[in-house]
Amino acid sequence: MEAMDTLKPEIARLFVAKEARRHRLAALPFPEKVRAVVRLQEMAAPVMRARGRRVRVWKLDDRVA
Amino acid sequence: MKRTLQVLNELERGGVIERYAIGGAMGATFYVEPLLTFDLDVFVVLPQSAAGLLSLAPLYEALRARGYIEEGECVLIEGVPVQFLPAYNALLDEALREARETSYEDAPTRVVRAEHLIAICLQTGRDKDRERVRIFREQAELDMNFLAGVLQRHGLEGKWKQWTP
Repeated sequence: MEAMDTLKPEIARLFVAKEARRHRLAALPFPEKVRAVVRLQEMAAPVMRARGRRVRVWKLDDRVA
Repeated sequence: MKRTLQVLNELERGGVIERYAIGGAMGATFYVEPLLTFDLDVFVVLPQSAAGLLSLAPLYEALRARGYIEEGECVLIEGVPVQFLPAYNALLDEALREARETSYEDAPTRVVRAEHLIAICLQTGRDKDRERVRIFREQAELDMNFLAGVLQRHGLEGKWKQWTP
């Protein structure tokens, strides 16, 4: 992979934005992060199950169906 | 997850466990971006039996009595698979003692400090632990003096230097 300083400015800007988003996510309140983890579980579970791994998406008491 | 934490608090109040704190990926998520995990890792200090043995059996029995079933290495508590990890060395003892008090949706709980989570990653030493240390360094607000003390006390300075060139 090319080093950041040799990338096209457009691509470099995308990487910077991605990094900023990760920092914003890191600053979220804990309950919001837990909800995000459950969304990640919902996305990842079918892939994991297809690989034969038994996984369970968490049940959050505060989630609205 | 609120109910899960309430159950853990009840177990602590009832003396089934002496103390608990959230660790693993969910502990890390407290400090950094949300990380994918399917288990809630909970470090516990267990009361010693009369024979001086530490065993998870009384904890599992207490959970079974409340209707919570085992699923592999976890116990399913209110829809969340919880993996209990007894404090088995000085680093985990310290991590539990100094865990951060917080709350989740009004349920009081504890989370292992970021600096201790890093030290646990260094001690465990898998590829995913190395990646987690990288994420901690990038995103978490770390007390570097406190971290230096933890690393020194538990003989992890060499590994830290190796992983953070």
